Amino acid sequence: MRRRSLTLRQLLSFFLAIAAAAPLLLALPSSPAAQKTALNLDGTPADPFLAASGKPVVLIFVRTDCPISNRYAPLIQRISSQYGPKVALWLVYPSRTSSAEKIRQHEQDYGYKLPALRDPQHALVTQAQVQVTPEAAVFDANHRLLYHGRIDDLYQDFGRARPTATTHELDDAIRAALNGKTPPPNAPGVGCYIADLE
Amino acid sequence: MTSSGRTIVACLLGFSSATAAALATHEGATARPLLPAAQQASFNRDIAPILFRYCSPCHRPGEAGPFPLLTYADAKARARQIAVLTSKRFMPPWLPEPQELKFADELRLSDEQIALIQEWVEQGTVEGAPADLPPAPQFVPGWQLGRPDEIIEAEKPYTLPASGSDMYWNFIFRTPVDRTRWLKAIEIRPGDKRVIHHANILVDRNQSARRQETEPRAGFPGMELKIESENFDPDSHFLFWKPGTVPKPEPEGMSLRLDKDTDLVLNIHLQPSGKPEKIQPNLGLYFTDKPATHFPLLLQLEKDKQLDIPAGEKRFLVTDEFTLPVDVDLLAIYPHAHYLGKDLQALATLPDGSAKTLIHIPQWNLNWQAVYHYADPVPLPKGTTISMRYIYDNSSQNLANPNDPPRRVTAGNRSSDEMAHLWLQVLPHASLNADFDPRMLLQESMARHNLEKNPADFEAHYNLGAMLQARGAQAEAIQNFELALRLRPQDATANNALGAALLAAGRIGEAMPYLNAALRAQPDNFNAHYNLANALVSQDKFLEAIEHYRAALRLHPDDANAEANLGGALAETGQLSEAKQHFQRALRIDPNHKLARENLEQINSDPKNLQQ
Repeated sequence: MRRRSLTLRQLLSFFLAIAAAAPLLLALPSSPAAQKTALNLDGTPADPFLAASGKPVVLIFVRTDCPISNRYAPLIQRISSQYGPKVALWLVYPSRTSSAEKIRQHEQDYGYKLPALRDPQHALVTQAQVQVTPEAAVFDANHRLLYHGRIDDLYQDFGRARPTATTHELDDAIRAALNGKTPPPNAPGVGCYIADLE
Repeated sequence: MTSSGRTIVACLLGFSSATAAALATHEGATARPLLPAAQQASFNRDIAPILFRYCSPCHRPGEAGPFPLLTYADAKARARQIAVLTSKRFMPPWLPEPQELKFADELRLSDEQIALIQEWVEQGTVEGAPADLPPAPQFVPGWQLGRPDEIIEAEKPYTLPASGSDMYWNFIFRTPVDRTRWLKAIEIRPGDKRVIHHANILVDRNQSARRQETEPRAGFPGMELKIESENFDPDSHFLFWKPGTVPKPEPEGMSLRLDKDTDLVLNIHLQPSGKPEKIQPNLGLYFTDKPATHFPLLLQLEKDKQLDIPAGEKRFLVTDEFTLPVDVDLLAIYPHAHYLGKDLQALATLPDGSAKTLIHIPQWNLNWQAVYHYADPVPLPKGTTISMRYIYDNSSQNLANPNDPPRRVTAGNRSSDEMAHLWLQVLPHASLNADFDPRMLLQESMARHNLEKNPADFEAHYNLGAMLQARGAQAEAIQNFELALRLRPQDATANNALGAALLAAGRIGEAMPYLNAALRAQPDNFNAHYNLANALVSQDKFLEAIEHYRAALRLHPDDANAEANLGGALAETGQLSEAKQHFQRALRIDPNHKLARENLEQINSDPKNLQQ
């Protein structure tokens, strides 16, 4: 009955195996173009850290077609409004195929007013150590990764949503980044596997 | 002049929805390779047949699945998610355990199929040879049963907020028929299927749900509904939609009656999507000219009274048992609990002592509740005992628990309350005695059973009274209506029923106060006006009777009996020409109305009357 955790562990090791295989393939072309970077919606290279010196950086990974990350849209927008300019908060779309236009439409449909980045090469995905959408990564003012994982505990598993969340990891992690307090322990999110986007 | 007493049968039909946990029982899904060592699992040969049958019906554009699963590219882009969700048996959604009695359209993957999917993903999602790919599934676009005879749309849309917990909304559809028609199917198109967990229709023959609308025609919130139905007309059909439902016409002879002025109430369970969603459902009506010849019935086992679940209780057991008074075929089953339900089971113990599992859901999940139709009708002889056995988890380990921290939970209609219901659609075997309707015996037994559980059950006293009245057991009927009234002295329906029963027993003077009480409680009660008018006629108080017939007709202008009786009362007071008009009107509504015809002929045949 309690074999669920075993299943999860098997899958995690499976992801690691995939990740280990990837650099091997990419090692062949050794041109500078191989350096991974995220993109602004206008297609220019983006570095969310460069623009936020001395400020915590928050990356929230979403997908246009992931129902669980979509359900979080109102909460993500609320958190963004709540902290305002105190943190640099970005939506990150790790899909390789979602166009800038599709992302703009998605932001409009779901009432997002925060800036968005595309991360088709998963440069930020790797840096933030996230695995599913929606997951968040919080970097402190020195841009060290403080927390990565779920936004809150609304979902414990697929189809196992609580009526309301009882823990609020993202909010706690942002406050920790601002106050220098201890961040919450990393907790994996429930949602759509980013590795499926490869 | 005859005066027909009316009774009203209140049938309570509570449908709703709950959540829970389809937690993996994942026994050895990765245990052994299914293919020869040298052979890799391929999409085209191994995965596509599974996907096309079990996933694509919902995972395609316009359907409930949040992304399509129709091609290799679709499956590859969700490969890990497919592997995890199938291994946990969260997808495809199918709650019952395998059992001897099979259900139609079972959506359960075998352990082998699940293992094959894991292998395919672990081996690198190979596409395989094009020749191995089976033909893509063909789906009917739009209405699944073809163009409906009538399409009705909810009059006002409901806007689901972007966030918040699950929402339950009811739309009232005014039906577009001007006479009694028979339906072979109703297709429900609830709206954006990605936000709708399930929907079901309740037939409201008395327009009783309209009273719950605060703004006319806008619908109203609520998870469980109470519908009163006039005369003996118990609910008979499950009209249920969930994602992936392919509507099926009702079996031959089991068409559904739809009368003029009947409302169809569509109860929808919605889950916010992250953006506001406008929901405006459509119903497609498919008529048949074949009236029903077989009359199924929905039986309900329940033990809501036992539901008093202490905070933190992990295994709270609720049971109910009902013994069938007649032979039936069991056609379909619908277990129902809210968010605390955990393990839901129903058993049948036959008279020979053998037992059959009717359904067993070991991990209840309100979000995936469904009506389950048996692949073949299940014959259950008279004397079979049906038992339900539900276990509830009110601890904080139940993630669906609506209360944090857990608190004591009792029965109720809100989603934070609980329910213990088991609905069965049964078709009683035809009786040799043509005058005997086996459904009435079932209903009577059900009411007696409910009274054993709860002597203070208003509806059971009421329904038992109505069944007894219908089979002429007047004294016991009156007694039960009196008991119902003792529980709810102000209830208009029960006051009217007792008045009507006393009237039928010839106890006119005793009937009057109850009929008047019904009208005090509900001045627009058609039945009470009509019955009171009949009572007044019996006392030769024609002028007063005329007022009440007129009041009744203002409420139901097309009631042939009220028209005919008004004609009769007018004739008694000598107002023959107006009487004639009302007899004629009764005959226009019902050309076979015997009383109206006889009275009209009598007026016309009397030369004195013709002069008027």
